[in-house]
Amino acid sequence: MSDFYIILTGTLVAISCGILGCFLILRKMAMVGDAISHAILPGIVIAFLWSGSRDSVTMLLGAGTLGVLTTIIIEFLHKKGKLQADASIGVTFTWLFAIGVILISAFTGQVDLDQECVLYGEIAYVPLDTIILNSGTDIGPKALYLIGTVLVLVILFVSIGFKQLKITSFDPEYAVALGISATLWNYLLMAFVSFTTVASFESVGAILVVAFLIAPAATAYLISKKLKTMILLTCLIGFLSAILGYYLAASLNASIAGAMATVCGLIFAIVFTYIRIMSKKVTKVTKFESVKA
Amino acid sequence: MIKQVENPIIEIHDLSVAYERKPVLWDVDLSLPEGQLIGIIGPNGAGKSTLLKAIMGLLPLNSGYIQINGKPLEEMRHKISYVPQRESVDWDFPTSVYEVVMMGRYGQLGLFNRPKKADAEIVMDSLRKVGMDEFKNRQISQLSGGQQQRVFLARALAQQADIYFMDEPFAGVDAATEKAIIKLLGEMSAQNKTVIVVHHDLQSVAKYFDWIILLNMRLVASGPINEAFTPELLQETYGGKLTLLTEISDLIQKHRFPNRE
Repeated sequence: MSDFYIILTGTLVAISCGILGCFLILRKMAMVGDAISHAILPGIVIAFLWSGSRDSVTMLLGAGTLGVLTTIIIEFLHKKGKLQADASIGVTFTWLFAIGVILISAFTGQVDLDQECVLYGEIAYVPLDTIILNSGTDIGPKALYLIGTVLVLVILFVSIGFKQLKITSFDPEYAVALGISATLWNYLLMAFVSFTTVASFESVGAILVVAFLIAPAATAYLISKKLKTMILLTCLIGFLSAILGYYLAASLNASIAGAMATVCGLIFAIVFTYIRIMSKKVTKVTKFESVKA
Repeated sequence: MIKQVENPIIEIHDLSVAYERKPVLWDVDLSLPEGQLIGIIGPNGAGKSTLLKAIMGLLPLNSGYIQINGKPLEEMRHKISYVPQRESVDWDFPTSVYEVVMMGRYGQLGLFNRPKKADAEIVMDSLRKVGMDEFKNRQISQLSGGQQQRVFLARALAQQADIYFMDEPFAGVDAATEKAIIKLLGEMSAQNKTVIVVHHDLQSVAKYFDWIILLNMRLVASGPINEAFTPELLQETYGGKLTLLTEISDLIQKHRFPNRE
């Protein structure tokens, strides 16, 4: 049963991250996911210091707030400060993460809150922390419910706002001319990225979250002609990475999150190579035909 | 020479726009007639695109205000259509010609409605008008420059607006597309639509437009083509740029003695 729970958790994280990742890639903001996943560290620490508890909801609120704040700072530096997008991302998340590290080492020395568990998570422990009802029935891991809720919210958000997300990604200025606020949808998307990242990361770790945000969507981007196809392919690739990653980890007795992220990369490499070979073949054919003509 | 009109479709008062405190448009004050093809002419960096974007509310204004048909912009948003510069978007975006043109309907559709049959018909009709209906399923990355421009035009047509703003629609397009666009502009103005075009090719100004706005940070002229397209006003607009000046005088010559080959 625990195999099933781990694969299911991985898949749910992969799908919710992947759907949002598609839009991040199309907006050329792929690294924002990486930035958010690091920059929320001080949020987690402050939430802990404030409330003294380590339950998921408190952590989510602290981290989510910081995630949105990160986006606002990045946007501000980029738009108003005229700094390049990548430089604003780099500056913002490194100093926020550093503040988080200082807060942890200075104030939470005596308690169990360390970078290890925040950054790396451990998907293998997911099946251990289950919800047991008063009647004594075990209804499955806590993380699964948290991530399941996030996935439902992400799907709702993207299906309701699909037109708006698409047009603000493709041509934000035109969207504004139509009366659709590009800024609003950008912040909504980033808020979802923050909460998804935080919710996922407690169970699977930051590295896997960043991998799932970008790699499956980047792979799907290479082979999709339409946005809907890209999103569906991303989900499929995410699912494959979770399942293959789990069995790779089991056979090597290695880190599950690491193996899942590796499989993401491998699938990308295979698709990329395939595309390169196919495009070479096509150019050869056209060359031959043009000679004949 | 700034000619004000009665019952203007667009009225601009004391408009100033600055980027980073550097003024780009200075004290522009003009009114435009309905149902005409209007060209915005001026040298590079004269603020032509800025004027267009300012009228559509895409930029913050430093001073002044704009009225469309006597009402503020927000109330008239649905009457306005926009063709941005082709280079302003990423043409590798995974979407088809049909889907891009459908975006023209998003303003009317709002948040919860999905495109209906009527919207699909409008989209196909717009595609036919620009001669792109055969390409409706093509991915946009596989279009030529001229075809990209036609898709943008179709998207603007799908909005079914009364006022069209076009930012350099003739830049880098093939002759066939240029012809198609001109034909379309003619049809639109016959239906009493107002079309405002940013244009930089002086050769074709007199041929294409009914009314021109000469701009070089400040407004030099705004009036009917036969009154505003004069050597003196062009010199004032392009002043100092000698190579351009000689080109202009050539043009004026040609304009006076049409080539009868």
